[in-house]
Amino acid sequence: MSGVDTRTNLAGIELRNPVLTASGTFGYGTEFKAFMDLRRIGGFVAKSLTLEPRFGNPPPRIAEVRAGMLNAISLENVGVEAFINEKLPEIPDGVPVIASLFGTEIPAYAEVAKRLTGVPKVAGLEVNASCPHVKSGGIEFGQNPVVLAELVRTVRAATDAPLLVKLSPNVTSIAEMARVCEGEGADGISLINAVQAMDVDVRSRRPVLKNILGGFSGPAILPLALRMVWQAAQAVKLPLCGIGGITDADDAIKFLLCGATAVQVGTANYTNPMAAAEIAEGIAAYADANGFARTADLTGALEAP
Amino acid sequence: MTTDQTAPTSVDPGAPIRARAQVVSNLSEGEANHRIELRVERWPQWQPGQFVMLAPGAESAAPRYDPLLPRPMAIYTADSKGNFDQVSVLYKVEGRGTRLLAAAEPGEHVRMVGPLGTGFELPPEGHHAILVGGGTGTASLYSLARAALERGPVSVILGARRAALLMAESDFEKLGAKLHIVTEDGSRGEQGLVTDVLGPLLAEGGDPAIVYACGPTPMMRACHRLTREAGVSCRVALENRMACGFGACLGCAVPMAEGGFSLVCKQGPVYDADTLEWEGIP
Ligand SMILES: Cc1cc2nc3c(=O)[nH]c(=O)nc-3n(C[C@H](O)[C@H](O)[C@H](O)COP(=O)(O)OP(=O)(O)OC[C@H]3O[C@@H](n4cnc5c(N)ncnc54)[C@H](O)[C@@H]3O)c2cc1C
Ligand SMILES: Cc1cc2nc3c(=O)[nH]c(=O)nc-3n(C[C@H](O)[C@H](O)[C@H](O)COP(=O)(O)O)c2cc1C
Ligand code: FES
Repeated sequence: MSGVDTRTNLAGIELRNPVLTASGTFGYGTEFKAFMDLRRIGGFVAKSLTLEPRFGNPPPRIAEVRAGMLNAISLENVGVEAFINEKLPEIPDGVPVIASLFGTEIPAYAEVAKRLTGVPKVAGLEVNASCPHVKSGGIEFGQNPVVLAELVRTVRAATDAPLLVKLSPNVTSIAEMARVCEGEGADGISLINAVQAMDVDVRSRRPVLKNILGGFSGPAILPLALRMVWQAAQAVKLPLCGIGGITDADDAIKFLLCGATAVQVGTANYTNPMAAAEIAEGIAAYADANGFARTADLTGALEAP
Repeated sequence: MTTDQTAPTSVDPGAPIRARAQVVSNLSEGEANHRIELRVERWPQWQPGQFVMLAPGAESAAPRYDPLLPRPMAIYTADSKGNFDQVSVLYKVEGRGTRLLAAAEPGEHVRMVGPLGTGFELPPEGHHAILVGGGTGTASLYSLARAALERGPVSVILGARRAALLMAESDFEKLGAKLHIVTEDGSRGEQGLVTDVLGPLLAEGGDPAIVYACGPTPMMRACHRLTREAGVSCRVALENRMACGFGACLGCAVPMAEGGFSLVCKQGPVYDADTLEWEGIP
């Protein structure tokens, strides 16, 4: 292909290109091996892990909405030991894996972080702050700056691995939450997680999800996500990983221009299991056609209005 | 409870592919029922009961973000045509996605991922296979009927609310299985529900039976109840909502009798009906 240099350093994690796949949309990586060589993407973020295996919500867990989908999977995952012993060995060498972690209490996050630190193939950690915090009565860790600060501080003390914090979009000021992460020693910020939403089936007069509320993702949320990435980029110096509705290379480039160092592709993996690889190639082609020698030079290259 | 062992199918399914399939034909078969024939270069090995994720409409209309997700559809048949393979899908126009699919013209391309899921095990030697299809579930059973007929006797019960909603009746007729048609309004075949035929059939005796059911959840539950009373094995193929179809989203999970969940797109869509927690299945 082109001579464009696509190498990307995201918070100390060396990536072949700036395109990762988002937690919960790429399984544990193994599900996509039939469709593509995983080395075509920068790396992937695995499904969020807890210490013990967990079951999720009863069905229906998903529903299609206009230009997007809702999900209420909840905490379902294989647990950190099965991830290390059964899933990671299936991942080819040279594919950076970012392990995502969550819990319902802060010490549980720290324990998962400790267990994953130093594990071969795990290139970094991502703290999923969109989980309901039991002690705060179920509001998300990432919705309260005091709780978020304690979470980031505690996990930071538990690991020396590159540490990303994934923010919840269900907040009044994303800039404030980004500053909290910077102040507590995170190495980077991923944003956004799915947006809290619901839908109703008027024929049955029931919510479409058994859980009533779910996370809204897909093309419809892109402008909202882009706005938040841009605001975070104004507020902090930390590298950002842009997420939300990315479906093609142009979508991804928008996030880079607004200040993201890398991006994550989520829901698009369901409509096209090769989407992330095609987006990575599309970004390189755009850089080449527009005179950027390195895709990294696209970060923050937004022109004045 | 039943203890019979079902024999595995002769082929292991191949790894799924993402294909850009060309529409060969796409015709209505009366009311909402449609048949789409799709040409692909090479289709992997597959089992009856496996499915594809079919994009909601032709590629030429893309990029279309609404409706967004591909639709799960049973593989009706997949046959070699010499230097290419042809996959056919029978579908009912239900909502927005299938309406757009019905508008795909011959020559256009449709994105498709498959074969996916775990299909049916063929009936054990010496067994009488009874296939019960309701609504779109009929489409999941045709290739099973074809394969099971090579091993032993097969009865097929097809049900619908009224005659025009029956799927694939003439295809099943041509197969030579013993065919029972049931409609709720009596406009074709016997009047009633598929279970009105299944009950007496199970009571007939003769060869040991095995039941395969696919259709609306209440229908599959009713079939399961009858088979339990008769001490006969029952397999069902579920038609739950899906987002990815290959185990990446965890969206298709259903509760199991022993606790926990199972992914319909991976461990399913075919299950031993005894293993499911029916109360929790949408
Ligand atoms: C393994 C499998 C095999 C299938 N095989 C076939 C087949 O061979 N032929 C066929 O016609 N159909 C089949 N189906 C069902 C088919 O996937 C749905 O009918 C289709 O997705 C509906 O899409 P739509 O765009 O028409 O409807 P939408 O506009 O998506 O939905 C119409 C209405 O139906 C509801 N709905 C949509 N999907 C489901 C669902 N799966 N369960 C319950 N409610 C739902 C929606 O909430 C909405 O109210 C299969 C499903 C599965 C899981
Ligand atoms: C089915 C599903 C499951 C998800 N699970 C997780 C998860 O476990 N952890 C997490 O941090 N984000 C999870 N997400 C959120 C995505 O990683 C991503 O932030 C969000 O979907 C927005 O990106 P998108 O519009 O590209 O999908 C999930 C999203 C979906 C659709
Ligand atoms: S449909 Fe995504 S895991 Fe089954």
